[in-house]
Amino acid sequence: MSDWRRRWQRYRRQNRVLVGVYLGLLLLAGAGFALFSRMAGLPPEELTNRLLTFMLWWLDLTLIAVLLFILLRNFLKLALERRYGLLGSRFRTKLLLSYLILILVPTALLFLLSATLLSGAAASWFSAPVEGMVQAGIELADGTRAEVEARAERGARTLAAHLKALAAEPARLAELERLHREMGNDLTGWVRPNVPVVELVDPRQRSLQRLPPLGADALAADGARSERFGGTVVVRAWSRLPDGSAVVVGEALPEGLVRAQARLAAGGTAYERLKLDRPTITATVVLGFGGLALLIVFAAMWLGLQLSRRFTAPLLALAATTQRIAGGESLEEVPLPAEDEVGMLVASFNSMVRRLRAREEELRSTVHRLDTVLGAVRTGVLTLDAARTSVEGNPAAATMLGMPELASGALPLGSLDAEGVSRLAETIRAAKGPVRGSLTVYPGGLARYLETAVVPLGRGAAPEGWVVALEDLTQLQRAQRQAAWSEVARRIAHQIKNPLTPIRLAAERMARHWERNSAELAEVVPQGCNAIVEHVQAMQEMVDAFSRYAKLPPVARRPVRLGEVVGQAVALYQGVREGLLVQLDDRSDGREIMLDPEQFRQVLTNLIDNAVEASPQQGVVSVSVAWDGEEAVVVVADHGSGLPAGDPELLFQPFYSTKGRGSGVGLAVVQRIVADHGGTVRLEPNPPHGVRAVVRIPETAP
Amino acid sequence: MWYACHTMVLGALLLATAAAVPELSVVLTPAPGRLGVQVAVKRDLPAEWREALAAGAPVSITYRLRLYRNRHWLWDQRVAGHELVVKAQRDPLTGVFTLVAEFDGEILASAEANTLDDAMLWVKQPPTSEIGVPVRHEPLLLFVRAEFMTRYKLLVIPSTVGTDWVQLSVPEVP
Repeated sequence: MSDWRRRWQRYRRQNRVLVGVYLGLLLLAGAGFALFSRMAGLPPEELTNRLLTFMLWWLDLTLIAVLLFILLRNFLKLALERRYGLLGSRFRTKLLLSYLILILVPTALLFLLSATLLSGAAASWFSAPVEGMVQAGIELADGTRAEVEARAERGARTLAAHLKALAAEPARLAELERLHREMGNDLTGWVRPNVPVVELVDPRQRSLQRLPPLGADALAADGARSERFGGTVVVRAWSRLPDGSAVVVGEALPEGLVRAQARLAAGGTAYERLKLDRPTITATVVLGFGGLALLIVFAAMWLGLQLSRRFTAPLLALAATTQRIAGGESLEEVPLPAEDEVGMLVASFNSMVRRLRAREEELRSTVHRLDTVLGAVRTGVLTLDAARTSVEGNPAAATMLGMPELASGALPLGSLDAEGVSRLAETIRAAKGPVRGSLTVYPGGLARYLETAVVPLGRGAAPEGWVVALEDLTQLQRAQRQAAWSEVARRIAHQIKNPLTPIRLAAERMARHWERNSAELAEVVPQGCNAIVEHVQAMQEMVDAFSRYAKLPPVARRPVRLGEVVGQAVALYQGVREGLLVQLDDRSDGREIMLDPEQFRQVLTNLIDNAVEASPQQGVVSVSVAWDGEEAVVVVADHGSGLPAGDPELLFQPFYSTKGRGSGVGLAVVQRIVADHGGTVRLEPNPPHGVRAVVRIPETAP
Repeated sequence: MWYACHTMVLGALLLATAAAVPELSVVLTPAPGRLGVQVAVKRDLPAEWREALAAGAPVSITYRLRLYRNRHWLWDQRVAGHELVVKAQRDPLTGVFTLVAEFDGEILASAEANTLDDAMLWVKQPPTSEIGVPVRHEPLLLFVRAEFMTRYKLLVIPSTVGTDWVQLSVPEVP
């Protein structure tokens, strides 16, 4: 787990509640402030409307804010996680986007459809027929009232005309009463300034007796007015007389008619009020639906997020664990209880982890044992990576190469380029496959003769690493050299001793005849001198052979066709002895090899010489050339008496001969030249009888 | 050519003059510690407002008065806010318009009108209202606005129909 992720999770846990409470309080405070500042001084019904609208608005805005907060928070979190490359961020982003599309699109469509339908339904409430009915009701009420007012005004004018014609007050009063009865007025009155009002009321309209009379100042000109009184509407019209008084005629509308008109008016008023409030109602309903839709979205999104978290948590935990293991951390099981298919996956993973732990323990034990073995063996072992850039070794190798730091850790291969051991580094770098050889290194100025084996690791074409085995043969070589020198000294002494005895005997014989002044002296001296010269000549040949062996020139390799070289050597022996057949089997296919042709001809000559000498009179010497992988194989076979008893390797020692003649360096020269070419030579029986000399030369120089 | 230019200039001047006519006329009458505010709406009221009044629905106009201290270095400080609500309703049975003016929730004046035009005139030119003026150290500004009704944009976004805010400097008491 990265440091950033740990920090983020700790921050989130600590601040989630605090941030939530803070935002909640902020929203509530803002809502309260806005509510109280806008709603002061409103009438109750308006306050209710506005409060409802406001609450719906606030609910919607709060839900939108919360949704946006959740969405932004999740998107921000996912963006951060994706930026820091946290596991599962891509998967969760896809899930969140899928949830958003699945929730928002249908809900938005449903909301838009509902809003459109609701808006249409609200518009249909205010259709033209209803409008016409309401208008007709209003006009009916107005018309009825206007008609009653007109009738009352006509009555008032008629009454005024009659009273103008009379001058005396009693006559006017009598005329007023007569006309009241004749005209059938509900109310008839005479209003004079500073005189009590005279009012005549139809007994059937007793409630009009309580109607306050009109004041004289309100009757400045002819007119009429309507007013509600006693459950009905009273229309009063007046007409002025020249003396400043006025006659009043009143009529009360029938109560039934007024109640019907009142119902009509109430309906019309309610309709108009509703029409005026239609936008508010539409907004309220739409906001209510919006809030509902937002609640659904909120709930669905919350549920979706929880489900996605619950669904992805085991997988992410598993993936995180595998990533940690792949990153090199210790093997650990996933501590997540689950019982479904994911649980099976987790259980399988944990089982695999346990097995890997066991294997790792075994491997660690094996490595420990191997370290112990490598630390204890006297063979030096170097291990290198596939690119051969770093090298480390066991204590034996560190000691052999004089580099103690090799045993304590990996070093660059270039560190082997130090003076004295650079040949080993060159050999390692040049190896293209398994290579065996020997070389001399000089760590600390002291010569060490090492037998080396460079082996690539792995079975594929590209090696997975390299192992170099070093065998310190310095002591062995020294002992072998001492033994060889002892053997050489013994054989030289033997070779020298053999001619010395006849020389001494010849000299003593000549001396004896000289002392006796023998008559045979003239015959003995030449014989003795010849014997001495002959044996000195043999000794000279032996010294020359020794010199040749010691002074072999360095190998000068060049690409040659081995078949041609062998063929030329075999051609020299055609007819060398009567009855002897020297035959060539060339299967080299004209392939070239890196070698010194002059020295290799000497190898072939020595081997064929030995074969010819060993072959019977009618014998056959077979020489074959072939390839065995990257090595050329030359075999010289005869059908002679075969190998002598004993170690065949002795035959390659200088001055060792089983023929009783010759210098005994032929096979030694063969072995040295072949070794200088990086090859091997061995003698083996050639059934049923005879010897096979097998020479193997690598295609390229070591 | 000259005539065309002249006509264009004249047209622009007429347009500017027309645009400069305020929708709300305010007359201030200063008195010690008080300020008389006489407002008058100079524009037509919304058609639906008028129709609703004629049909008997209760309607109202809200005049908002806000008094600010005009501070030199700081933002203006609101020192008082008042509402003059003028309500009108026609009685369909009697045809009489009942008019009431409430200042900060208390009835300031009431009246009756027999015609729609009279009623409209009364609500567009309500009685003078008086507001308290604090002892001043800085100039005072009065902002006045008339609100007629609420409309909704895009079905749900409320928008108040009314005049623009009119800003006046409160004169000193003579």
